[in-house]
Amino acid sequence: MKRTILSLIALALVLGSAQAADKVEISLAYPVAVTAPIANIMNGYAEQFMAANPDVKVTLIFSGGYGDVKTAVQTAIQGKAKAPELAIMLATDVYDLVNARLVDSFDDLAKADKTGSAYLKDLAPAYMGNSYSAGKLYGIPFQRSAVVMYYNADLLAQQKIAVPKTWVELGSAAGKLTVDGGAARWGLECSTKNPYWLFEPFAISNGQNIFTDENTVNFNDPKVVEAVQFVIDLSKKYQGMPAGVTDSWGSSTANFIAGKTAIIIHTSGSLSNILKGAKFTVGVAPVPGKKSASVTGGGNIYLTPGHTPAERAAAWNFVRFITETERVVDFSTQTGYVPYRQGALKSKAWTDYVAKTPQAKAVADILPMMGPELATNALSDVKSAFNKYLEMAINGQMTPKAAMDMAQAEADKALKDYR
Amino acid sequence: MKRKPLLLPYILILPTFIFVTVFTLVPLGSSIAGSFFRQKLNVPKYHDPSWYGMGNYTDLFTDSTFLQVLRNTGLYVLATVPASLALALLLAVLLSGKFRGQTFFRLVIFHPAILPMVSAATLWLFFFTPGYGLLNQLLRLFGYTGPENWTGNPHMSLLSLCIVGIWKQTGFYMLFLLAGLQAVDKSVLEAARIDGAGGFPLFSRITFPLIRRSFLFTSTIAFIAAFQTVDHVFIVTLGGPSDSSNILLYYLWQLRFEKLNVGAANTVTVILVAVLLAFTITNFLASERHER
Repeated sequence: MKRTILSLIALALVLGSAQAADKVEISLAYPVAVTAPIANIMNGYAEQFMAANPDVKVTLIFSGGYGDVKTAVQTAIQGKAKAPELAIMLATDVYDLVNARLVDSFDDLAKADKTGSAYLKDLAPAYMGNSYSAGKLYGIPFQRSAVVMYYNADLLAQQKIAVPKTWVELGSAAGKLTVDGGAARWGLECSTKNPYWLFEPFAISNGQNIFTDENTVNFNDPKVVEAVQFVIDLSKKYQGMPAGVTDSWGSSTANFIAGKTAIIIHTSGSLSNILKGAKFTVGVAPVPGKKSASVTGGGNIYLTPGHTPAERAAAWNFVRFITETERVVDFSTQTGYVPYRQGALKSKAWTDYVAKTPQAKAVADILPMMGPELATNALSDVKSAFNKYLEMAINGQMTPKAAMDMAQAEADKALKDYR
Repeated sequence: MKRKPLLLPYILILPTFIFVTVFTLVPLGSSIAGSFFRQKLNVPKYHDPSWYGMGNYTDLFTDSTFLQVLRNTGLYVLATVPASLALALLLAVLLSGKFRGQTFFRLVIFHPAILPMVSAATLWLFFFTPGYGLLNQLLRLFGYTGPENWTGNPHMSLLSLCIVGIWKQTGFYMLFLLAGLQAVDKSVLEAARIDGAGGFPLFSRITFPLIRRSFLFTSTIAFIAAFQTVDHVFIVTLGGPSDSSNILLYYLWQLRFEKLNVGAANTVTVILVAVLLAFTITNFLASERHER
């Protein structure tokens, strides 16, 4: 009897492990960065994929923000442990990730895929800017966003203020909408802590992005310096925004929803949260300037190195699955992230959605106005230099020109190893 | 007389020896060796380690950001260690006598120590919020209309970190000093009182010398903790604005995981360990000399 029971247990274990061995297991490290029900949405996609592909098991690893995922991937690869096959990391990190050998190219998988070429062509060119390094494909857009201007349309109409289209209009609107020096209401909030991303549209709207390619930055270009002066003027001259470096990334959306701030510059990723909370008509527009502008943002899906052909193939299939048009539309409508497939923008589901939610259409309309987000080699050094001196200018410790000259010099020093 | 086997003491310290070797000595040795090599993972030509001699040390000590980080760390340690120790000592003295509600006050004062630093920092981030932050509201009650932007002002960001650090650690240090005070022989204090001593002279000449060992131990762990605390930097200031609140351990994390500069990160580790070791040895020697 005892022998029979033990034999049965042994058989069950062998069969169980044989069944597990048949399955290809892959995992995706995912940064949960905004207040949208992303974990549930992603779990739903993984379940749908596993139902359609019973030979594959997908595990989603939700961890902190983009930086945490990058650290986890680094630690696993450099510690010779098994890294998650797929990871969503910042699109702009592509050069550092490739140089540090933390990611692998999708090239062979895309080429082996019969519809791979058509699929890649359908991905929005604005978002594919950070997908290649040295001509090889490393990133597939996912969870992509844009910097947009949200405004309280009812309040602007009530105060007879037109939606700002130029810097002067934005400054004077912010000043007029500020009540009691900001104690009762701020006209404008734009977080100035680590400010490069929210600042970039101001530079682009003045005709010059802060970088040209992975080895060239334009920090001390006169047009960029002008944009720095304008951001300072928003509080100093127009008295429409909190003065000095202010970390209002988290609080500005809450203040906007509560009617305590009239206009905010923020990510399109906050759209669904804002629409759910606001009790007034929310307007969405590009960042004003000589030309309306925005900047890309968000993550890409990367493939990590050191996996079997079966795992790589399963990973590619999962990437294709979660970036199919219907899921791109579903993800965008549920979160506010921008649809990154051209086919998605033409789909019936999207057309129906924007008919009911014009703010989402406004975000999609901004796509052609977007410049690329700062992406260079030695990104952390370059970004730190820019943020550090821009903060010094905002805090009045240096003039915009002197600050940007210093930022340029430090960034050039960091980039000299690549030139 | 039969001699005891010599092997037993070695067996007894073996687990600790293995633990210290694997988790302290080997990584430290690896960091010391790595500090003489140039390795930047995101620069193809420096991806693999190459001999750099004292290059990493020279680079760091000529880098204005690193010098600022060293200054910030020095200020942070000098501000938080004496302040939290003085407060801890004061609270320990106040809570050592018997009075009604003693347990309640001990619990209230000790509770920040059991909170994770991330929770404590998040709580304080709310207090520091410009406009409606509790700290600013409190200061306004006293008619203060000064700087509001605690974490965004380069002259106040480090102070904000110090406040969080002191609030979090004082209760923990108080516990050790309270234990020291309770271990003091009451008859000695009684004798001093009979001789007419009391108040501050009694404390400074009799009580404090008797708890000196507890105080030295507490000051050593306070000093080490001040260098090791980093969680609140991630929550409250991220080292900014413009590196005004960047301290050594946070900078080390940035070098290793953001800038992918392994050589420089190893060098900062060696510098950090050297500083801590120098303090601990000095403190230990001073304490031992006093004992003799």
